[in-house]
Amino acid sequence: MAETLVFLEKEDFLARLRELKKDGYSRRNLALYLPWHLPEVEEILEVSPGPLRYFAFFGGLCGFVGGMGFILYTVLSWPLITGGKPLISIPPFLLVSYILTILFGSLATFVGFLFLARLPSIQGIGGAEEYGNRFVIVIEEGLRPWNP
Amino acid sequence: MESLKLRPAVFYLLLLSAVGGIALAEYGGSGGGKGSLLVTLVFWSCLAQGAVAVVAITDLVRARWVASLKRELLSLYPLQFLVFLLFLLWTPRLSLYPWSAEPGLWLNEPFFVGRNLALLLLSSLLAALFARLSLRGDRRANLLAVLYLLVFVASQSLVAFDWVMTLEYPWYSTLFGAFFCVEAIYAGFALAGVASYLLRRQRCDADPETARKGLRDVGNLLFGFSVLWAGLFFAQYLLLWYGNLPEEVHYILRRTGSTSALALSGLFLAGNFVLPFAVFLSRKGKRLPAVVGGVSLVVLGGLFVERVVYVFPVLSLHAGVLFVENVLIIFVGMAAFYGRKTLLPRGGEGD
Amino acid sequence: MKESKALDPREEVERDVLAVLCRPGVKWLAAVALCAALVLLGLGLWGYQIHRGLGVSGLMHPVNWGVYITNFVFWVGIAHSGTLISAVLFLFRARFRTSFNRAAEAMTIFALTVAGLFPLIHLGRVWIFYYLFPYPTERHLWVNFRSPLIWDVFAVSTYMIVSLIFFYVGLLPDLAIARRRFSGIRKKIFAVLSLGWVGSLDQWRHYNRLYLFLAAFATPLVASVHSIVSWDFAVSIVPGWHTTIFAPYFVAGAIFSGTAMVITLVYPMQRILKLEKYITVDHFEAIAKILLFTSLIISYSYLVETGFAFYGDNVFEAEQFRYRSFGHYAHLYWVMIFCNSLLPLTLFIRRLRRSLPFLFAVSLLVNVGMWMERFVIIVNSLARDYDPYAWGTYTPSLVEIGITVMSFALFFLLYLLFLKAVPVLSMTEIKEHL
Repeated sequence: MAETLVFLEKEDFLARLRELKKDGYSRRNLALYLPWHLPEVEEILEVSPGPLRYFAFFGGLCGFVGGMGFILYTVLSWPLITGGKPLISIPPFLLVSYILTILFGSLATFVGFLFLARLPSIQGIGGAEEYGNRFVIVIEEGLRPWNP
Repeated sequence: MESLKLRPAVFYLLLLSAVGGIALAEYGGSGGGKGSLLVTLVFWSCLAQGAVAVVAITDLVRARWVASLKRELLSLYPLQFLVFLLFLLWTPRLSLYPWSAEPGLWLNEPFFVGRNLALLLLSSLLAALFARLSLRGDRRANLLAVLYLLVFVASQSLVAFDWVMTLEYPWYSTLFGAFFCVEAIYAGFALAGVASYLLRRQRCDADPETARKGLRDVGNLLFGFSVLWAGLFFAQYLLLWYGNLPEEVHYILRRTGSTSALALSGLFLAGNFVLPFAVFLSRKGKRLPAVVGGVSLVVLGGLFVERVVYVFPVLSLHAGVLFVENVLIIFVGMAAFYGRKTLLPRGGEGD
Repeated sequence: MKESKALDPREEVERDVLAVLCRPGVKWLAAVALCAALVLLGLGLWGYQIHRGLGVSGLMHPVNWGVYITNFVFWVGIAHSGTLISAVLFLFRARFRTSFNRAAEAMTIFALTVAGLFPLIHLGRVWIFYYLFPYPTERHLWVNFRSPLIWDVFAVSTYMIVSLIFFYVGLLPDLAIARRRFSGIRKKIFAVLSLGWVGSLDQWRHYNRLYLFLAAFATPLVASVHSIVSWDFAVSIVPGWHTTIFAPYFVAGAIFSGTAMVITLVYPMQRILKLEKYITVDHFEAIAKILLFTSLIISYSYLVETGFAFYGDNVFEAEQFRYRSFGHYAHLYWVMIFCNSLLPLTLFIRRLRRSLPFLFAVSLLVNVGMWMERFVIIVNSLARDYDPYAWGTYTPSLVEIGITVMSFALFFLLYLLFLKAVPVLSMTEIKEHL
């Protein structure tokens, strides 16, 4: 049986959360629902920033390397001098690869977010319990910390 | 060395003797190296005006990023007076400019000296007044901040257009002035980074949380400015490269043509962009005062090398003279920084 | 406990903001009908142009870029302030963005939609527009990556995609609120759109980082897009175009015009939808300061550009700037100087900055001035380049004017539809800062 604690005020909620943390609860035994993001919660529960930044970084890197690689491939596959510029003209190529860095970085971050946040969620669309503007702590019965 | 009890009279005596020393180094018969003073002058005008500009900007947008370093940055305002004196020292050398043979409406010696001296004087007066009012928490400080920033933009633009760009007359780039203004602000933030290293103990003891946040903000701002700097640098480079006009490309070729020139150009690119970008991209880079301070120093070094690259293809430089001049000014800057307790008026927020 | 719930300010925010999504009134329908009619008219004119060829426009040698390209640059510029307000101000932790960001982000997307049409309208054979994209063909030819027009394709489409993601991500928690407060078919639609957002700790934690990263990606993007648009002109060697300050100058101009457009859109919205409580005079004042600041940057650029036209021995540059200020299109130039450089100086006065009707009037004139600026830059330089034998003038035809009117109608039409489709203010952020 899960126990659900509902708070109207942020301060009460945070105070209770601190108590729970002191009692040995951690992120694994608690499910929290918030109306907006509270950085304090992450500090209290000592949550790590998560792996989203790697999605951003590697997405951007792929965009840059892939973009530059693709452009180099196209100019070398049909070597055609235009505008009196060298075949491999780094300054303009940097520009397009830079744009692609941002494009792939953003897309990868978004996809990474959907994956990490488990969205879209059928359960949520189907109508899970909604807490509105309240701060909620759900304690799963089976997951209470062992306290001799 | 926590602080220095320095009376204003003593400090200004120090400043004047530094100017005297520089005059001796420059004109004392070392022979070659006619451009050393110009490099010094351009570099320190950038730092002195940039430090105050950063405070003016943060005052205007009521940002807390650098608020805790306000006194430290403002303590450098007397350097603007030093720059003013150094410009006077530079005036005998104006015949080195290619336009001096055929003066025009804009580029002739009296007007050149007149407008630059006027702006430098105005800038240092406004900076002094602004520092006073801002530290006292006076409401009129905002008005002075706006005025100072207007003069700052005009003055740094003329540093770029008049002092540096006319070395390559008739080549010109309209971006140059704006680029110098951005670089000055970049230098101001780098100075904030150095200051936050020097004050790490004191600040950490007072309030570790604020100190940590302040350090991260300085790191973020340096990161942002490294990108902005690279963007503006690229904007200018791309157009010169693309236009491929003989009179424009000449400017780049002189700065990349030889191995030493290419090495110096690569050095300032690395110092101003690659290193701060790479270090501050990670969150860990913004956590240690030593890293933030070190990278800030590298940025300042990059800006210095960049000024060397502007000048050396046209005027010869003398490493010894350059070294002596800059050490003297660093010495004055240190005196201003550590003597800020007695040199600056007492602030509203305590010291 | 129950009493406090009835007065809960958070509930009030939700109620007030979602009240905008009520059944549309006659005025709204009339406005939509008018805009739609104008759009249809414009599409008809475009069809006529496709049928008869580009000859129906006023474009002729030497001026081959006219009102269409002016509109393209203008609308891309309008898009910029949306990203500025939502991304840059987010990174700088400026609170006042909360009242503008949704409207501004929507504006970005609509302005880009309109802007994206103009290169197509400008094409003679629009049905082969896909030649612009690099794809493998049997001719083994690739696009020219050294051409600024290809940079445009990449920059503008990337900008569109990233803006859409940013807009949608910002909406997510608000869509979940709308799902909770509506019933019936609307509830189902919002449920699907919100992807089943429940606001668990894990969702918020990753969401927060996502928003930060997207802002960090969007900020350099916004600067590069208008830089690239400026390089359409600046990489060529045409007097008045080939100048290094163009990139930052265009970016500042874009933010300037876009900020004006935000005021133009948000002031009536605040009035008509009664959102004075959430969009206050202080917020407008902060936006007015951005307007003033960017106006000063633009004036600086005008000054520097004009100064350097007379700096060296370049007679072509000098002639171009003389022609701009006293030539065939001089009246447009002076309108531009008045609207972009002189009029915004009044915003130094605090009382005028805080007077919303005045600010609204300034914003309208700034829009006019910025449109003129693009026209002045594009047409003057083409009309008078190096060879006096090839000089000529250009007058837009009725078709071009009609299509320009259509672009404004399309923009306002999309904005009107937006008002009734999604929450116009970020409820989550307003509640967070209550």
